[in-house]
Amino acid sequence: MGERPESRVDRIVSGLLRGRRLKLRGGDAEEKEAIVMAARLAAARGGPQRMSPAFRQRLVKQLQATPPESWMTRRAALVAGLGVVAGAVGGGLLGRSLDGSGSQPGATAGHVVRPTNGRWVDVGSVADFVPGEARMVKAGAVGAFVTRNGDSVSAVSSICSDLPCELWWDSSQHSLVCPCHNRAFTAQGSSIGTYKLPSLDVVQVRVREGRVEVLGV
Amino acid sequence: MTSEPRPPDPVPEEAVQGQVVELPAASRVADMAIDELEMIYAFIYSRVGNRADAEDLTQQVAMTAIPRLRQGSPASAVRGYLFATARSVLGGFWSTRLGLSESELHEDLAMAMPQSGYSEESVERVRQVLEQLSDNYRRVLELRFLHGYSLKEVAAEMRSTVGAVKVMQLRALRAAAKVRLDG
Repeated sequence: MGERPESRVDRIVSGLLRGRRLKLRGGDAEEKEAIVMAARLAAARGGPQRMSPAFRQRLVKQLQATPPESWMTRRAALVAGLGVVAGAVGGGLLGRSLDGSGSQPGATAGHVVRPTNGRWVDVGSVADFVPGEARMVKAGAVGAFVTRNGDSVSAVSSICSDLPCELWWDSSQHSLVCPCHNRAFTAQGSSIGTYKLPSLDVVQVRVREGRVEVLGV
Repeated sequence: MTSEPRPPDPVPEEAVQGQVVELPAASRVADMAIDELEMIYAFIYSRVGNRADAEDLTQQVAMTAIPRLRQGSPASAVRGYLFATARSVLGGFWSTRLGLSESELHEDLAMAMPQSGYSEESVERVRQVLEQLSDNYRRVLELRFLHGYSLKEVAAEMRSTVGAVKVMQLRALRAAAKVRLDG
């Protein structure tokens, strides 16, 4: 006969109150909310916790032995879970001429965002886009800065390629700025400054009958 | 629950508001992050309720996130990245332990990020949750969790039986899990 729910949960509670690790068995998920709440209540008993000196020391030693990577890449952000937004909203640079054919010169660096089940989203009339000025648009979950350059439009991700922060357009500098670390990109997605970051990813954009469309989800 | 909060921040206030803090050496990143990891540890502990798991998960966060932080990272970005990593690690922890996919885990289970970053908030939230419960439910959880009573002791205190207290404990935990607090 299976363990009764109240006994199942009390087994876990008793372990927590003895300071033991959470040991769960198959079927415990049925009481997941109660178990998670029990863990929170058990934690509250002792008040805010600090690392033990021994653990802190161990951690410092491990960190000192770990070489730093050159920077936190967008991939790292994805691994960290930040990519839920960065991935969904990620974009890049991909130009299309206003007649709907051909690609934008200079669209070289970032990866092209290819959303699964992507759809073209109307983000406005071509006339809405001031030449040379990047304008933030949303194509469902995909955020992009669309720039019109003469006869073509291009679009870059609205998310920084380094930290998962949303960029803003600084019209005085004509650059996209990451508020998280004051790094800037051109409207075409290239990193500005001596400290080069990966270029912004490519968001696909096209023009149909005078309307700008971005490939979103 | 009454212990003094740790100092609010190891970096200047203006750095929290977004100014880039130029760090003199790569090791300084790790030094700064170690201080931030105290908060991460407290946050994780407040979610898993035991030291051993909290240490393992904090270590996992550190090993994942810190090598990827670089000189010049603003303090706010360091903290944000560490917390995001912690949320991801906690999601994986609960997912593995409960045998559920992360999408099956409710947002509140493990993922919610504390507004202040300190676990006082978690402790305060627990207090607020308990206040929302009926007298019996609150009493059984307070005696069991906050005072560390055994089931038998709770039963004696509440003039009930061990079996009835066990059932009440489960119902009280379920009710507490359903409490939604504003903010």
